[in-house]
Amino acid sequence: PSSKLVVACQFLQRQKILGIYRNMLRTIRQVPDEADKKYLRDWARDEFKRNKGATDQDVIRMMVTQANNHLEELQKTLALARS
Amino acid sequence: MAARVLQQCVRSLARPSLRLSSANLAVRAAAAPAATIHRPLSFAVDSRRTRWLGQSRVPSVGVLCRQYGDLPPLTLESIKDRVMYVLKLYDKINPEKLATSSHFMKDLGLDSLDQVEIIMAMEDEFGFEIPDAEAEKLMSPEEIVQYIADKKDVYE
Repeated sequence: PSSKLVVACQFLQRQKILGIYRNMLRTIRQVPDEADKKYLRDWARDEFKRNKGATDQDVIRMMVTQANNHLEELQKTLALARS
Repeated sequence: MAARVLQQCVRSLARPSLRLSSANLAVRAAAAPAATIHRPLSFAVDSRRTRWLGQSRVPSVGVLCRQYGDLPPLTLESIKDRVMYVLKLYDKINPEKLATSSHFMKDLGLDSLDQVEIIMAMEDEFGFEIPDAEAEKLMSPEEIVQYIADKKDVYE
């Protein structure tokens, strides 16, 4: 693949991951308990920052899936807590 | 008919004490110690209206300047102050380096994750959501101020 395509793919992947991060923070914002909120926020932040230098595509893809799973779990728990 | 009413008014103006007990409201109003005929008439109408609407009219004066317990109206200046205040509280920004024109990544050394956090903090501060596509473009305090001012219909 041409280098331009690689750059474009990287750009899209970056957007996608930033979108997940934004989604994650938005979801965490709905957590009622302030201490839990702070804990989750710090956790998400550390997790994303810790892996921001990752270059291996497989590893990145795996982490994206993992993040989406976490997000889904969090949303489910929140919905359960609200009902 | 109108002519007769007028005539009566004029007559009652001339002899106020005689006409005072007459049933006609307009005539009685006209008998009030005012100089012209039209003024007492309009005064009568006016006073009736104020009596009817008195309950709603007096407070309605205050409605124009009432604030409904909301925050004071936003101005470009107050938006800017709040944006800068939020940024100063953000732990990764050196408050001394911060200026309205500084670029988050180039000047302040933040990364894209920090930028996401900043935008989220702005959403918290101003109480509305910024869509992802717009949020990505906001890279300096002045851009954020401009964006919020546009969204909240604040102009100079």
